[in-house]
Amino acid sequence: MSQSIEKDVRDFILENFLFGDESRMPDVTESLLEADLIDSTGILELVAYLEQHFGLAIADAEIVPANLDSIASICAFVTAKSKAPAKLVAA
Amino acid sequence: MTIPTMNLLVPIDAESGAKAARLLAAAEHDAPKSAGGHVRAAKASDMEQVARLFMRVFEKQEGPVPPSLTAYLAQLFLDAPERDPEITAKVHVRGDGVVNGFIGVLPLPFRHAGRDLRGAVCGSLMVDERDGDPFAGARLMRSFLSGPQDISLSETANPVSEGMWRKLRGTILPAYSLEWVRVLRPAGFALEVARRSVPAFGAMRGVAKPFDALARRVAPGVLRAPENPSAQDREIGIEELAELIQRIVAKTPMHPAWSTTALRRMIENASHKSRYGTFIARAVTVRGATPIGAFLYHVERGRIAHVLQVVALPGQAGAVLDRLFLHAEELGAVAVRGRSQPFLLDALLTRNCFHVHRASSLVHARDESLIEPFLSGRAFFNGLAGDSWTRLVGDDFAKDVTGA
Repeated sequence: MSQSIEKDVRDFILENFLFGDESRMPDVTESLLEADLIDSTGILELVAYLEQHFGLAIADAEIVPANLDSIASICAFVTAKSKAPAKLVAA
Repeated sequence: MTIPTMNLLVPIDAESGAKAARLLAAAEHDAPKSAGGHVRAAKASDMEQVARLFMRVFEKQEGPVPPSLTAYLAQLFLDAPERDPEITAKVHVRGDGVVNGFIGVLPLPFRHAGRDLRGAVCGSLMVDERDGDPFAGARLMRSFLSGPQDISLSETANPVSEGMWRKLRGTILPAYSLEWVRVLRPAGFALEVARRSVPAFGAMRGVAKPFDALARRVAPGVLRAPENPSAQDREIGIEELAELIQRIVAKTPMHPAWSTTALRRMIENASHKSRYGTFIARAVTVRGATPIGAFLYHVERGRIAHVLQVVALPGQAGAVLDRLFLHAEELGAVAVRGRSQPFLLDALLTRNCFHVHRASSLVHARDESLIEPFLSGRAFFNGLAGDSWTRLVGDDFAKDVTGA
């Protein structure tokens, strides 16, 4: 499951933020922001992808770097949302 | 509001749990300040911070915040008589309580096919770039578009905002997204365009006059609007103007359903744009009696006039534009510019206007049938039906501090 999520996320980043240039693929913990791979539009693109591809409902309060700023955090976020979505929704 | 933190997340899987925990701890350590931020409805106590943000982002100025700007933001976004408690401006607040983002939201009721619709116009989306926090803008935009309104609109989205709208399934409206320009004095126009980059060109205005006089003699049909003896323009008071605009706009299938009070207040706001010059509102009549339309614009001798709104009965847009161009020419404008609307396009094209794209108009609706009138040009949008009527566009609040 996790490998599948990671692969899907990597494929998405490769296609949408790197335009096929695999040599620029960030490390698993590297900040997408600091690597200049993602901006406000990219964040929304990523959120839309996660919602659509993984069938998630992502709350505004969940759109934070802690959940979306690296491949590792995205994978962890998707896994957590898939298992226990109620815990992650802000009150 | 509780913001999710890393300790609520579970490892990717059992095997890599320890590794993931380490990696995520590193990610948390590196997270920017917005990690604890949130979006909420704006309130009065935020307005000074919002005003400071406005000065920094839009005016490129640091220093004292004009009290008049703070007061105006509160009046516009929080205290307007037509405010809707569910459709409000929002702020993004960092974890340390500092407001680092804002989205201005103005309710704009629409009527379509006998149905009342809740509309909302977003403008003044701003995020403090010093934070380097693209999450703030993304969250503000998403929060706005997930609001209770039937129709969401943006009149003048810059490329960044446009990109976000598109990702959130917003639809760009090409026929509403252009600026039209009608040149009246070509040499003066060229100088005025140059002056905007190099202010010293302003001192050369006198040089342009003989060239423009010559051009008008050589090509009068190109530069001067035709005089239609049966059409005139006259001053119009705010009461009559509001009534006329409402009557004409109601002929468009999808149109704003302003109250007369709201429309009067908007026109009054629109009259204060000190950077654009003197506010002019005139009705266009035929045979001295029947109003067929009106134009509202700001003009200053030697400058480009800014049109806020043109309204015209069906088939009368050309006659109204001709009176506008003649009026602006008499007052010494070098050109006239305005925001495009589909009902004006034919008349503009046959009146030697050119079009440029400066910002995009966009619409978003969960019910896609509500988008069709905008795409087909059967919606009244832009100007008073937008946010460019506010003093935030074209007025100079900084002069209240500098005394300039």
